[in-house]
Formats: sequence, C-alpha cells, structure tokens
Amino acid sequence: MMAGAPGDFGSYWQATLDALAAYPAAAQIEPIPLRTTAFATMYGVHLTSIGPYRIFAYLSIPTGKGPFPAIYYAPRYQSVMQPAPQGTASLQRSRYITLALAARGYRNADKPYAASFPGLLTEGIDSGGTYIFRGIAADCVRGLDFLLTRPELDPRRVVVAGNDMALITAALHPSATHAVATPELFHDTLARAAKTAAYPLEEINDYLRLYPERREAVGRTLSYFDLRAFAPRVRAATLIMAGAKGSALDARALSPVSDGLEGAVTVRESERSSYKDGLFAESWIAAQCGIGDVRSILPEAWAKAASP
Amino acid sequence: MPEPAQRRFRSKVRKPKDFDDYWNDVRTRLEAIPLAPEMAPDPLRSTEDVEVFQSSYTSLDDVRIAGWYCRPRGAAAKLPAILTFPGYQSEPAIPKDLARKGYAALSVAVRGKLRSNGQFNPGYPGLMTHNIIDRHTYGYRGLFADAWRGVDFLLSRPEVDPGRIGITGQSQAAGLSVVTAAVRPVIKAAAIGAPFLCGFLDAIALTRTTPYDEINDYLRMYPEHRDAVEETLPYFDCLNFAGKVACPIIVNAGLQDNIAPAETAYALIDRLGSADKRLYAYDGQGHEAGRDGPHRAIVDEFFARHLQGTEGKA
Repeated sequence: MMAGAPGDFGSYWQATLDALAAYPAAAQIEPIPLRTTAFATMYGVHLTSIGPYRIFAYLSIPTGKGPFPAIYYAPRYQSVMQPAPQGTASLQRSRYITLALAARGYRNADKPYAASFPGLLTEGIDSGGTYIFRGIAADCVRGLDFLLTRPELDPRRVVVAGNDMALITAALHPSATHAVATPELFHDTLARAAKTAAYPLEEINDYLRLYPERREAVGRTLSYFDLRAFAPRVRAATLIMAGAKGSALDARALSPVSDGLEGAVTVRESERSSYKDGLFAESWIAAQCGIGDVRSILPEAWAKAASP
Repeated sequence: MPEPAQRRFRSKVRKPKDFDDYWNDVRTRLEAIPLAPEMAPDPLRSTEDVEVFQSSYTSLDDVRIAGWYCRPRGAAAKLPAILTFPGYQSEPAIPKDLARKGYAALSVAVRGKLRSNGQFNPGYPGLMTHNIIDRHTYGYRGLFADAWRGVDFLLSRPEVDPGRIGITGQSQAAGLSVVTAAVRPVIKAAAIGAPFLCGFLDAIALTRTTPYDEINDYLRMYPEHRDAVEETLPYFDCLNFAGKVACPIIVNAGLQDNIAPAETAYALIDRLGSADKRLYAYDGQGHEAGRDGPHRAIVDEFFARHLQGTEGKA
C-alpha cells in the first residue's frame, strides 16, 4: 500500500464491488445494423450498475469462428464514447471483440444524470461515498463482467484500454489479462493540479478556489483513486503510455505507479505524436494477442507510413 | 525533405452551381433571427486574471447556442478577439489560455454539444449522416450558422475591437473556421489545423476511420441513397468555401493523420483564396498535426502579429 493511501482503501473498494454484485447486470442487447459490416456485427448493450443506474456500451463481434481476443475501451475523459476511439481503423473490429463503455453521465448513459465537461472531475468530490468516479469505476467493472459472458471471447486475451480507468478496472477485476493505460487524472492529482492551469486538472483548481475549506476532504477522496494505491493489485501485463520526457506525467513521474504494478510492465514515453504512440500501442496489443499482421488493421495513413 | 506523396492528390470535389444561392438563403434566414446574446459570470471557472462567462445566443431554427466567453480581467483598452469551436467529439474548451494572452475569446458549443443539445442532438456517431440525403436539413447546415453567429456575438461585445478578430481550431473546428472566414470578412486572421470537413467524398475513399467512416456505414446500409449523399455533401464541403477566404491563414497538417487525411489539407491550401496562406506539413505527426510541439508557438506569433500588432488594427 502506498504511503498516504487511506487505511480503508481495501474496504472502500470491496464495499463498492459488493454493492455492484447486489445488482444483476440485466443485459439488454440489440443489433445495430448501421454499424454492422461484413467483418463484424455491432450491438448496443444496456447494463445495470450500482445506484442502480443503466449504462451503455457498444459491442462489436468479429465475423467467423472464435474465440477472439477483446479490447475493452474504458471511458476516457470526454462526453462521447464512440464504438472505438476516434481514428481507429474499422478493420480492427475484424480481429478483436471490442466493447466501448459509456459510463454514467456519458452520452447514451446520460439519463437521468448528464455529466458536465468540465465538471465531472469534481462531481461529488467532497466524499468518497458520493464521488462520481466511484460509480464510474463500478460501471467499468460491470462492463468487463458482461464482456466475460460472451461465448466468442478468448478469456486469455482480454485487453482493457483507456486512461486511468483502464488501470483501475484492471486492479478491480482480475480477469483483465492486459492493460494499456494513459494516465491523466488520478496520479498525485492535487499536487499536479497545483502546477497547471490546463483542464481537466484545472477543474480541481477551480473547485478549491471557490471552496478552499474543502481541500482536506477533496484530498481524502482522491486518495481512494490514486493509481499508486491500485498498482499492487494489477496483475495484468501492462503498457503504460507515459507523457513525453519532461512532461508532468513522463516515465519518471509515473515510476511510482509502474514500479508498483504486480504484472509485467512496459513503459512507453510519448513522442508527442499520436501516430508514433498509437502505432506502438496497436503493435503491442497485437503482439500480446498473437496477431501477427497488425498492419492489416491499422489506419491507412499509418499503414502506408509503416510500410518498409 | 522530398515532396510528400499526399501533395500530388487531386480532389474530386466540385462546387454545385447553386452553391452561393443555397447559402445566401440560409444567411438570409439567419439574419432574420435576433441574436439575443446573453452572458452570465461563472465564478467557479473565473480566476484572478481571467473572467469566465457562460454565454448563449440564438441561431438558425431558433436553436440556443451556448459557449464559454473569457476575457482578461481589468483590460482598459479594446481587446483583440479570437473565436474557436470544438472538435467532432470533444466539448468546447474554456479559452482561459487565450484570455491570458490578451484576447477576448469565445468558444462555441455548436448545436449537439453539451449545453446546446436540448433542441438538436444527433449523437456521436450520428452527426456526420444526420439527414445526409437532404441539404436543406443536413446537420451541418445548422452548425455552420452557429459558427457564423459566434462572430456576431463577439461584435456585440463593447470590449471587442471589431477590426481585430481572429479564428482558430483543429479538426472539425478547422472546418468551421474555414466556412466562417469565408462568409465573414471581418475575420482578420485564421490559424487552423488537421482540417476536417474538407473533401468529404475524397476522405471516405482515403480512410476507413471514424468520423468519416460514418458515411461509409450509411452508404453500406442505404446504397440506393448514394446519389443523394453525393449531391448533399458538396454544399457543406469546406473546399467549396475556401476560395472566399481572403484573410491571412496558416494551416498545420500531420502527414500521418488517421482522421483527416493529409491529402485533403493539401486540397484545402490549394483552394484557399487568401494571398497570404501557408501550410505547415509535419511528417511523423497524426491528427495533432504538430500542435503538441513547435506549431503552438507559430500560432501564437501569427495571432500576435495580425491581431496585436499594428498591421492587424482597423
């Protein structure tokens, strides 16, 4: 356990998982013909998470005989969760099951609660019991619960990808075999917020500027979400996508997280290029999942540039 | 560096004969609607040096459009201003950074974005093909009008110098910037990157990534509508607005852009009407197109020269 992690860190999260387990997922699955291709079928999935609250996910199943590896896209810090991150080659869906989760507040899961951006990062932040990310973490676990029920899935190749929520999901759900995480929110949040005026961390500064007396409470809440505390629980093979060298979240800054991970870890520092970083991540996932011809499922602009 | 292969690309986009008539009609309808600008201070987002306001105005079809308006606190003189927009899937940023550089800045939540989606909410995915077989109701018709109205909002502000208004954005925001600079000559300078909405019909053949691939999804499901889609999209293609852009403009593009193909950025620069235009093409870059590196300083210097220097003043 990291220094500074609350003594009830484990019980806080166990109570969250217990609360989640009390609700059946009640999965409702509907085909989406508009997003279905010759190589993959798309579905919309509604699930129940803690609250109770209905969340949404896009599920894509490759055509053909499985089992298939899966990429589970945990929600990033944006209002929209598309079937795959913007710019992903559609052909990725020919080789992987993909599941993209819209957590509570995100579009398609925004009734009755519609999240604000900015605003989500401080929603209910005065208490660990009310902080919105407790529910979002539970939503992420519920999405992985659902994915594991799919008969087409190869449970030995389950990659969870995203920002901090990918790592938190892998920590809370031992069935994630791999994780690709680009931390942005929950590593040393208060200290990093004090050094930036950029959103989303500026949300923390905005909040504490208006409510300075709540700093201690905010700090305590955030301590339940600090990646350093989750790291020893992550047994998945993990790729950490760090910021560029010298940035606030470069490999050195993230070393308390990456060094603490229980599973095998690869740390990649950004080259400030979504092309180079994206190509590395896609290649890493493919290699981990035994897919040899990654170029065939890359965006056209990347595949051309990567050709010998 | 040898000339990149994307430079040799030739767009197939052609301008409809009634393109100007179509948009003149939209503009006439828009001008008949009162702007009804409103601003409310946002104490939560304001700082010692920047005042932040939640703004709103009325646009086409009487849709209320939200935004974030920022200005440097305590400015004594008229301010240069910068207008900006969100990307396809992102929400509008609060432009405190621009205010800190001395600009009044409006970041528009075009229809469909949070706070502007009560009357129009096509979804993401969804916007790209919303009523795509009918140019009179295609989703981007309203978004373009929302962007133009952002200029009207800035002109309504007494602290804004109407002779020093610039426009900027990446991706979808770049496309919206092009159509705005084209129809609002009050725009004095434009800095855009990774331009989206340029060469729709080219892009859906060049790439199979979202958001453009939404159109391919649609055509796969409704092949009988291909002619109608191909008839609608040229009315909304920024390449067909580009010739009317007369202000100084810089464009940054990533040669490995997986969302807005670099080929279409070259098509745009070729068609821009401005005598003062420059494309910065970054090899090894994707959709960020150099923005996370040296290009940020280039944009800062460009606006400082055109909006804060003597040559940009009215």
